[in-house]
Amino acid sequence: MLLEFIRFFRGSVRFTINGKFPERFLNITAGRGVRLWNVRRGADFSACMYMANYRRIRPLARGAGVRLRVTQRFGFPSLLKQYRDRTGLLIGACAFLLTVFIMSQFIWSIDVVGTQTLSRTEVLALLRENGLYVGAFKPFVDDTAIAHEMMLSRPEIGWMAVNLTGSYASVEIKEETPPPEVKDIAAPCNVKATRDGRVIRLNAYEGTTEVEEGSGVVAGQLLVSGVMGSPEVGERLVHADALVIAETVHEASFSVPDHLTGIRPNGEFAERRSAELFGLRLPYGFAGVSSERSVVLERKESPAPMDVTLPLASVSEKVYALEEFERSLDEKTAEGLLLQQSELYETFALCDCTVTNRSTRLTHNGGQYTLCVTYTCEEDIAESVPIGTYTLG
Amino acid sequence: MKRKKNKDERGARAYAIPPALSAPCIELSGNRELLIEGSKGVLEYSTELIRVNTVGIVITVSGRGLNLRCISESALVIDGFITSLAFDA
Repeated sequence: MLLEFIRFFRGSVRFTINGKFPERFLNITAGRGVRLWNVRRGADFSACMYMANYRRIRPLARGAGVRLRVTQRFGFPSLLKQYRDRTGLLIGACAFLLTVFIMSQFIWSIDVVGTQTLSRTEVLALLRENGLYVGAFKPFVDDTAIAHEMMLSRPEIGWMAVNLTGSYASVEIKEETPPPEVKDIAAPCNVKATRDGRVIRLNAYEGTTEVEEGSGVVAGQLLVSGVMGSPEVGERLVHADALVIAETVHEASFSVPDHLTGIRPNGEFAERRSAELFGLRLPYGFAGVSSERSVVLERKESPAPMDVTLPLASVSEKVYALEEFERSLDEKTAEGLLLQQSELYETFALCDCTVTNRSTRLTHNGGQYTLCVTYTCEEDIAESVPIGTYTLG
Repeated sequence: MKRKKNKDERGARAYAIPPALSAPCIELSGNRELLIEGSKGVLEYSTELIRVNTVGIVITVSGRGLNLRCISESALVIDGFITSLAFDA
């Protein structure tokens, strides 16, 4: 294979040898250090040699009493000679090589592997801040510095490496595993109430109970003491621990104006498609919507054979026209909207509680509807507080 | 030729080279390819017979469809269907 390659680049000729003693010619040429190959003795005596050597051996042929005739030329020099009048081809080949060289100086594909909590978009944005993006000039990309900067800026990244292979950057990330929270179960502490309420159930695992089931407590009140005493051993400090389920009350209010203005899609939309090549977007069309306000939904698909994202993408954009609208709310609609808000509040803000009862009151004044909701809940109000720590409440 | 042979042998003795090392080196792959190192020239070449001059001996290769695949100053490669090898001192 290598030999074929060398022969192609140096150029070779096949020639016939006519004369009385072709073997003599072979010996003379070989003796002069000229290499011959594919020496055939058929109807014609033929052989191959490098093009440059052929010019040297013509006088030797005369001396050996043979006549040479070239039958075929192979290789790059003969191709060059064949196309020497076609300057366009030469310019095209040079332009191609130049383009390949210039394009290889840029980053055209970035892949991120190993992320768990961090999103790819987030990592790509961070990389862009640090100078690595599709289309970045490769000599200006310092892979080690980028990895260091990103590890310093984001504590979630435990280890990271940027590997540049040609125009492809592979970013490997190992995220930091946070150490588990270790509870200090030996330190003496009391159990206090986090909220006002009425104790329904009290299970003290350690410590001296200070309240009883059914008694009302206020926030910060001592529920289970970490000081235990007995006549035999005297007083000692323990890590008090308890489950204190209490009935508590949460209040929240939600408002909505009785006259709403907003924007919504009016049903008109247009679809635009474009191709993205090396970061350059080439649109197929310029479809748009008549409305001044619009929202664009973009979908981008890049081929990624063998997990390598290519610098090509098909981009589809959907433009939805928006219109302003005004709406007056009646009491029923406003209540429905506010109840939806209260359900969201219940789901997210009261996720640790069990809501046993809720009462609502809707009022309308000052151009807005207000819904006041009172939740009756059951929740654990126990909180461990180290002994010697005073909270103002 | 005889004088040359004596000269080669004297040279080999002067440099303490064993006689076998100054002799041509022949490598045969099956009966399809033959490499001769230390050749001094081709005496006869046809598709059935190739005679090669080496230091002190003439190697005669007989066969069918014989070809000189490559020839250089001191080595040559013959391929084809080799049926016999003969050495003439």
